Amino acid sequence: MTSHQAPKSSNGVGSLAQFLDAEIPTEQLTIWGKSSQVMSGGERAPAAELGLLDATMIGMGAMIGAGIFVLTGLAAEISGPAAILVFMLNGVVTAFTGLSYAELAAAIPKSGGGYAFVREIFDDLPSFVMGWMLWFAYMIAGGLYALGFAPNFLELLHVYGVTAAPGEVGALAIPLVPVAIPATVGLALVAVSFLVALNAVSTAASGSAETLFTIVKVSILVVFVAFGFLSAGGGGETSFTFQQFDPLFPDGTSAVSILPAMGLTFIAFEGYDLITTVTEEVENPRENIPRAIFYSLGATVVVYALVVVVAIGTLGAEGLAAAGEAGIAAAATSFMPTGLPIIQNGGALIVFGAVFSTLTALNAVVIASSRVAFSMGREGQLLPRFGNIHHRYGTPFVAILASAVVMLGSVVLPTKSAGNMSSLFFLLSFIIVNGAVIKLRRERPDMNRPYKMPYYPIPAVLGIVFNAVLTVVLIVYLVRTDPLAVGLSVGWILLGVLAYYGLRTYRMQTVPTDSESTDSSIGEGDDD
Amino acid sequence: MDGNFRVVVAGGGRVGRRAAHMLDDRGHDVVVVERDSERADALSDDYVATVIEGDATRPDILEQVGLDRADVVAALTSQTGTNLAICMMVRELSPDTQTVVRTERESGEEFDRFVDEVIFPERAGARAAVNAIEPDVSALEDVTGELDILEVHVADGAPVAGKSLDEVALPHGSLVVSDAAGDMLAGPETVLHPGESYIVAVEPTVVDEVMNLFRG
Repeated sequence: MTSHQAPKSSNGVGSLAQFLDAEIPTEQLTIWGKSSQVMSGGERAPAAELGLLDATMIGMGAMIGAGIFVLTGLAAEISGPAAILVFMLNGVVTAFTGLSYAELAAAIPKSGGGYAFVREIFDDLPSFVMGWMLWFAYMIAGGLYALGFAPNFLELLHVYGVTAAPGEVGALAIPLVPVAIPATVGLALVAVSFLVALNAVSTAASGSAETLFTIVKVSILVVFVAFGFLSAGGGGETSFTFQQFDPLFPDGTSAVSILPAMGLTFIAFEGYDLITTVTEEVENPRENIPRAIFYSLGATVVVYALVVVVAIGTLGAEGLAAAGEAGIAAAATSFMPTGLPIIQNGGALIVFGAVFSTLTALNAVVIASSRVAFSMGREGQLLPRFGNIHHRYGTPFVAILASAVVMLGSVVLPTKSAGNMSSLFFLLSFIIVNGAVIKLRRERPDMNRPYKMPYYPIPAVLGIVFNAVLTVVLIVYLVRTDPLAVGLSVGWILLGVLAYYGLRTYRMQTVPTDSESTDSSIGEGDDD
Repeated sequence: MDGNFRVVVAGGGRVGRRAAHMLDDRGHDVVVVERDSERADALSDDYVATVIEGDATRPDILEQVGLDRADVVAALTSQTGTNLAICMMVRELSPDTQTVVRTERESGEEFDRFVDEVIFPERAGARAAVNAIEPDVSALEDVTGELDILEVHVADGAPVAGKSLDEVALPHGSLVVSDAAGDMLAGPETVLHPGESYIVAVEPTVVDEVMNLFRG
């Protein structure tokens, strides 16, 4: 918004008049599926068009990642067997925001996701806040998924006797570092570093592989559910029985206890919004995007409900809580058949599912977080360098590396704090997304909306109210139980305030002299 | 933000719709104002721009495009009078926004006091006709099918600024042909100096990526 020279000189690609002159045959207009985009972290070759199934799978794949594997145990710890309600109600709450995403994505053809929509209607400060929070939410989610990956990976090694049980693996003594790093933290660091490096230098993004990944993940969970129910009546200690759900609210907990658990596990439904970051690749987007959002949400609620029912029905809420991040894996090991060919232990399949899901989810948030930072750089809301793609790798290099710093740092957090913070910031950003729908309807009544949410404004208002209630409950709960998460969250917001005003000052200094040596001070090694 | 414009296109007809597509290809944010609801729906299906359905000469409608953030307003309806009215209003509501007006007839310099750029699409049509009649000599933009031949200015601090071509990985579907002077073909050792221009051949699907690399 700063360069106001005539278009001819400032855009540097010939005059507007010149390119308006070029003739295009009419039929090309309809087949110009925009496929290659900078936002996608640089898919260099034109990507295939994504159908409704692909788009749905992207949403499901991003949701059914680490949340269900990592957080089920923690949810059971807080609210006992009522964890089943926790996941189902979260699905309902998220659906309202889903309607908002659908309306925005159908009307605003930008691949930036939540940040891009908010940027379209809100002023500088609110849209910066949105981007800043969403960026953080994705980065902390990365730390969370890495933390979920590590114990499950150790469990997988353990099943095959490579290492001792996860709890018994000692700290790794790394020669270069004076302090010993716990094995799980070390593994999580390695996982983050590997995927960051991969995405920083390669644009072979998962795009088309996503459907396959999702099918693998869902199939493994279906196997889990099927064997879980089959174990019913087996008489074993961990055979499936509905008695595990009685009482639904054990002593000391009440129906209210599911609220903080909902806050904590809210992140399990984060991911359908990733559908809106690939909108330009989807065929017939204005119909398929809303459908894909609803189908993926609906299917995910069903999958989660079944998985949680089986996990609690077999292991019991207490057993599940004790197993923590590896809860689902522990449940599976208890009832899956053993002595199978090749994989030997059936439980290993589920553990593999957990490892695979956490890794693919981690990959998704590495891309998603850098995409938010990249969009903010493009909009001038972070240093312009964040919005550049690398001259050799074709990736948003600086945005990825900057995201990696926070992600690596968050790996040392307790899993619970990472989940709490990530959920908190997603809740906050979803409130703004619902607000954007209302603001757009009021200020741009004549905007073409190919998809309009039914019963406006009820869903948007309910979305705001429910998300706000969960936010407040979560904050109250955190102040009591997790001061670390509260402190870091406040710290990130304060840092954002500094960044916002610092950047404004920086822009005011550089703009008059017109980009003269604008970035000599921030040389992140992209000189190779 | 040299590279990324917010452009308002008034009129989603033959000229406006194509302009919206090309601007979107180059990675700009586009808002189209179109009066006709069938055309507005078709534009929404194209999925290249946010579409406001209404008459851009009405202030109520024009205020919905977010003028305060718009870098350029291009009035591209078929009516010169309508286009001029829109540009006048933009100048009043948002003096910093650049204006481009489409005219029905060649106008000389008479509009220069009121708008920043004047375009006359029929001239391009005439040129295409002449090119077809005398096929041995063609103006550049008609030589290729979908390929864009662009003269691109390397911005200070852009990702490729100061890099030689063998250090740079341009996306598939793009090729640096020569420097703007056109003295010699570009080779691996050609350095992309900031502040200078280069002729680049680009397929439409990777134009935005090339723009990011050259323009930052």
